[in-house]
This record gives sequence, C-alpha cells and structure tokens, in this order.
Amino acid sequence: MEKANLSEGNRRDFLIKLTSVVGGAGVVATCVPFVASMNPSSDVLAKAETEVDLSGITPGTMHTIAWQGKPVFIVQRTPEQIKAAEASNGGIDPEPDSKRVQKPEWLVVVGVCTHMGCVPNKEGPGWVCHCHGSEYDESGRVIRGPAPKNLEVPPYHFVAENKVVIGAT
Amino acid sequence: MNKLLKITMFCCFSVHAWASDVTLEKIRIETDISAVERGAEIMINVCHSCHSMKYIKYRDLVAFGIDKQKVDVWRGNQSLDASLLAQMSESDTLQAFGKAPPDLSLMVKARDGGANYVYSYLVGYYITPEGMQSNYVYPETKMPDILSISNATEGTQRAEIQRRARDIVSFLSWAADPHAAERIRLGYYVIAYLLVLTTLLYLVKNQIWSRLK
Amino acid sequence: MRSRIIKWIDHRFPLTSFVKHELTGYPTPRNLSYWWNFGFLAGFVLILQTATGIFLAMHYKADIALSFDSIQHIMRDVNYGWLLRYMHATGASAFFLVIYIHMARTMYYGSYRAPRELLWWTGQGLLLLLMATAFMGYLLPWGQMSFWGATVITDLFHVTPFIGDQVVIWLRGDYTVGDATLTRFFALHYLFLFLIIGAVVVHLVALHKVKSSNPSGINLADKDNIPFHPYFTIKDLFGLGLFLIVYCYFVFFLPDSLMEPANNIPANPMKTPNHIVPEWYFLPFYAILRSVPNMVGGVVAMGLSVMMFAFMPFLDRSRIPGGAHFRPVYRVQVYLFLLVMLVLGYVGYVPSTNQTVLIGQVATLCYFGSFFFIPFISKAEERWLIKRGLPPEVKIQMESEALAIENRKLKNHNRSSDKT
Repeated sequence: MEKANLSEGNRRDFLIKLTSVVGGAGVVATCVPFVASMNPSSDVLAKAETEVDLSGITPGTMHTIAWQGKPVFIVQRTPEQIKAAEASNGGIDPEPDSKRVQKPEWLVVVGVCTHMGCVPNKEGPGWVCHCHGSEYDESGRVIRGPAPKNLEVPPYHFVAENKVVIGAT
Repeated sequence: MNKLLKITMFCCFSVHAWASDVTLEKIRIETDISAVERGAEIMINVCHSCHSMKYIKYRDLVAFGIDKQKVDVWRGNQSLDASLLAQMSESDTLQAFGKAPPDLSLMVKARDGGANYVYSYLVGYYITPEGMQSNYVYPETKMPDILSISNATEGTQRAEIQRRARDIVSFLSWAADPHAAERIRLGYYVIAYLLVLTTLLYLVKNQIWSRLK
Repeated sequence: MRSRIIKWIDHRFPLTSFVKHELTGYPTPRNLSYWWNFGFLAGFVLILQTATGIFLAMHYKADIALSFDSIQHIMRDVNYGWLLRYMHATGASAFFLVIYIHMARTMYYGSYRAPRELLWWTGQGLLLLLMATAFMGYLLPWGQMSFWGATVITDLFHVTPFIGDQVVIWLRGDYTVGDATLTRFFALHYLFLFLIIGAVVVHLVALHKVKSSNPSGINLADKDNIPFHPYFTIKDLFGLGLFLIVYCYFVFFLPDSLMEPANNIPANPMKTPNHIVPEWYFLPFYAILRSVPNMVGGVVAMGLSVMMFAFMPFLDRSRIPGGAHFRPVYRVQVYLFLLVMLVLGYVGYVPSTNQTVLIGQVATLCYFGSFFFIPFISKAEERWLIKRGLPPEVKIQMESEALAIENRKLKNHNRSSDKT
C-alpha cells in the first residue's frame, strides 16, 4: 500500500519536473529572437567590408575612408618614407615595418588613437593625437605616449592592383 | 460560442473573392533557388529597365544563393550593397508611359490574390477585335505585353511564356517575403514543440485536479 | 538562508502574505469552465505585445519619409525582425479575439451583475484603451490602409459641436494626416501601453475584491472554493498552450491573412484605395457607422454601440441570479446578439450596396434593440420563471439577496432616524 503511494508520488514529481524543463526550454528559446534582434542587422554587417579604389591616391598623400564607421588612413608612401619606416622599430610598442604592411608603398591603419580613441592628425612624417599628445611615426607606430600601442592595422587584401578590400583577409 | 467566432474569422477571409471581378489562375509557386534565379534573370533583362526593386540589394541575391558571378555581371560597376533600381529614370518612364511603373519589391503582397494575381496579369494580355492590346486582369494597364503572350498562338510557345511568367512570380514572391522559407521551417518546429508542451500540461493538469476528488 | 531573506523582506514588505492571499491561496470557484481562461490569456497577450513592441521600437522610425522603409528594414535585415513584426501584428488580432471572448463570457454568464459592476466598467475602459492603441498602432507602417484608416477615423471628430474642424486639425497637427500625426501616434501608442497596464491593475484589484463569478451565477459555499495555485495556474497554462498553437499557426503559416494587401503600398495622400476596410475587430462598429445615413448620427451611434456594454448592469433587472444558466430567454438573447455582431461584421467588410446597407440598418436596429429590450424581457422572464418554479438553490440565493437589500434599507432608515 505504502509502496504504491510512493511510486505514484514519484511519477507525479517526474511529470511536473519534465513539464517544467520543457516549458523552461521554450521560454529560453523564445528569448533568442529578441536578443538576436539587437545584434547588427544584415545591412550593417554588409558594411563590415569596404572596397576602396586606390587609383586616386598619389605618392606621399593620405586618404581617409570610413570602414565600419571608423576612419582608416591609407597612405601611398614614397621610397624615402619607406626607408625611414624600415630603419626603426618604433618606440613604445616595437614592431618591424614589414609586419605592418602587405606592400611597402601602401600603409593601411585604423585612424583611432590607441589611448582614448581620438582621431590623430597627419602632422610631419607621422600623426599627432591632440587629445593627449600621443605621436605616431610614418608606419603608424607610437613613438611618444601616453598611447600604449601602435595604430591598429585592419584586415585587408588586394583584389586588384589598385583595389583593396578592408575588413577581410 | 467558439464555433460562432470561428465562423466570423472564416467570413472575414472567405469574402475576399469580390476583390477582383475576373477569376485568377491559381498557380503553385516554386520556391527553389533555380526557379528564383531564372526569374531574377528575366527580371534583370526585361522588367529592370523600367521597374525598380528598391528593397532588394544585389547582396541579398548572393545571400539567397544565386551564383555570385551572375550577380557580378548584373550589377556591373555598382556596389554589392546597391538596390536594384530601374535603368530608366522615373521621369523618363513617366514620359514614356504616362504613369510611373510601380516598385516590384512588394508587388506579390500588395495585390489581392498575390502571386496568382501577378501571374494572371502577366499572361492575361490579348489582342482586342480592334487590334489593340489589352489585359483581362487589369484592362487600364500601361505596361506593354513584355512576354508577348498576346501574339503567341502555338501551344508550345504559350507554354514557354507561361513558364517564364511562373519564374518571374517565383522571384517576386521571394522578393516580397525573403524569410518565408525560414519562417515555415521554424513554424513546424514551434508547432511540434507546442503540441508536446500542451500535452504535458494537460497531463499535469489532470493529475493535479485529480487530488480534489 | 532563503527563509531568512524572506523573513527580512516580510518585515518590511508584505511579500508572503500578498502572494498567499492574492496569488497562491486566492480562493477561486472550483466550477470555472475554460471560458474563464480568457482573462489570463489577455494578460499574456498584453505581455507579448509589450515585449515585441519594445523590440520593434528599437528599429522603427516615426517619420513619414522613413517609416515604410524602416518596416521593410525590420522585415528583411533585422535578425528575426520578421518574426517580431508578425508576432506583434498577429498579437493585435489575438488580443481582440481574446477580449471579445472574455466579454462574451461575461455577457453569457451575467458576470457583470452586482457586485461586479466596477469590474465590468474597468473592463469597458480597457476595451476603449485597447481600441485606441490598436488604431494608433495601425498608422505606424504608413501604408495605404494605415493612412486612409487614420484619415477616416480622425475625420469622425468633425462632428464635435462648434469646434469640429479645429479638433480634427488639432488631433492631426496638420491639415491632413501627416508627419506630425505619425510621430504623435507613435508616442501615444507607446504611452497607452502604460495606461493599459495601469487599468489592468485596477481591473485586478476590483476582481480580487469581489472574486470571480462562476457559471451557475450562485454564490458558492466556502468548501466549493479552491486555491488558485496549483489548480488554476495549471488550468490556465494548459489553456495558454492551446491558445499558442492557434496563435503560432497564424504567425508562422498565415501571417499575411490578417493584413490588407493595400498596406504594402506606401501611403499616398493623392489616391484612396478602391475599398477601405478596417481591421476585422472594428468591422461591426464600422458597419453601424455606415448604416446611419446622417454623419453625426452615425458617429454617435458608433460611439454608443461600443459603450452600450457598460449599461448592462442597469439594463438587466432580473432578480434571478447569474446569466444564461437559469435563464433560457436570456440565453437566446445572447446568442441572437452574437449573431447580430456577425452580420454587422460581414456588412462592415463587403463594399456597400443598397442590399448590404439595408441589412446593416436592420442589424443596427437589432443591435440597439437587444440592449433596449433587456429590462422588459428580463422582468417578464423573471415572472415566467417564478411561476414555473425555480430550483431551490436559486430560491435561497434570491431570498438572501432580498434580505440583504432589506437590511441595507433598514440600516439607512435607522441612520436617518438617528440623525433626527
């Protein structure tokens, strides 16, 4: 008699637990579309890659383009600039120039100061960030603080002689 | 009472028939990629000169699975992110036809009868006894008979044109509701899940209420 | 640990006693049928509409140049945006369906009768809020139906005495429905959510004061009341499962069946669609508007037709407790009334011809007639039933109610004589 009662109680508990788990899973799954809807939509994701035509950029000049809403500096460097860049390893965050470029005459860096996120100005051979006075050389490497790191090199690849896609390697 | 409410709902849907006086041909819309791709090709080569599809971008075609190289040819030097805008400007088409051609992005959803309407319209051209072109579905239309079904007399020729019209409708149906396939697939899972959950809830309910006796 | 936290809270806030009195231990008549599920379902749909609405508002733009495009952005680009929008649009219909069934149940079982008049009237207020919210939300996609629906309905305010024209312009903030109208409708559509939630709280407070009615219409003895939890939580959840199956079927397989094709064309103030129809839940009232040949009369009739339900506690004069359970004539009346609603809905949907206008006018007369004749019919029915003999439980209830009225009179009399 007692045994029968016990097993019935177990069955009841099991059924309620099973239903709670199934129902809870449904509630969690329902949250997925709501949470996902706050992620970047497909038209925003389409801007993750930007195609840039380089033919208008003359040697020694800089071009700023927007990639994912951030400024990207594209510089066609003269042989002298390349030589100067390759001569040093930078300062605070040493890195050889060859690691920062795919073709020595083209430098592509994200124009966001690694200190507090201001946009540095092109001044002299490199860049100066006027928010807190950080300085970068002709390879975008930090040579004076407070910035801790060199200007970031975005992923990019050349699709043609004069065409580069920024955002994908 | 439930029955009565169901009948109300039923009435609301079933009286749609008055919406157009002509009977529309009912077709089965093919939703596979090849049909949509054939339709897209006709759209680009034929409709696209006058009609825009501003909510469809070239990248949408690639994302759906249409051959990237084909899309690259279609877009020419436009970016992948560009909309399918008409080749003729709106003022030019306005001058040519006296009426701006409507955007086709939502055409299948924007007409009573949906896909059946668009299909019946495309194959609804005929030559009147006076030798003029007209359309059974939409007599006041300004659009010429682009598939030239009104001149087709042979059976095989008409069948070929009807096939092309069905492809266009396939493409336009996809364009009007690009997530339809995903929606229906997800729907099966959701309904199956709810059936299981409701059954479980029913069992629990019976068990709990049995304590009362 | 848990009990210590709860003790700490209980010392400062009546958590345990609130949950015990109002949720888990709330006494509920054990004979409630599934028709009593729909209040819970309405609450659920409100939460659903709130959640989907807030997430849609994150992507929607209330600007006539952008709103149609932003809806397409939601439908095409936003992750699961199509799902959120279809849930919200279908949810609006589901809300009305659930509320109408909830009201039909109240009418059928006489749940509006004393002492539940305030409960019924707060519900009537909720219906008006819901209608206003749905109407304003319908403008937001800025399609052809949105635009012309808003134009027609705001035009109704022309009948305001003396300042009609100014009122219409004030409502729109423009000479026609325009950018100002769209932006304020969006702001108010969002605001009304909070008004509805507030009104629901009042509705629930009123409910918990007078407790649920039950199918018999007779006050139950204490032993026939059972705690809300677990009996009605599980019953409501099972009902919710059934509801969700129907709801999801529409969301996933027939989402466009409840949307007018013309609303997929951007609003064009220069061209009216050939046939304007409101959403299905407004059709009976729209039919009444069209049935009255005079414009002012039509608007007044339509407003009255929505408000008529509020008069039910005064109109139903029968001393026989409850609704249709012990009252066969009243039952037939309710069925006929529902039939009239269906006819009006049909008339509201089809384009008007001489024939449908006539049907609509007859149905409108029947609609108001069914309210107008309730006092006489209910009295006559009462006499007939008493003559035929009533079941003992009904007699007991009637006697106790008569006694209560006597006592109240006596008390009032005593109080007034004390003063003098």
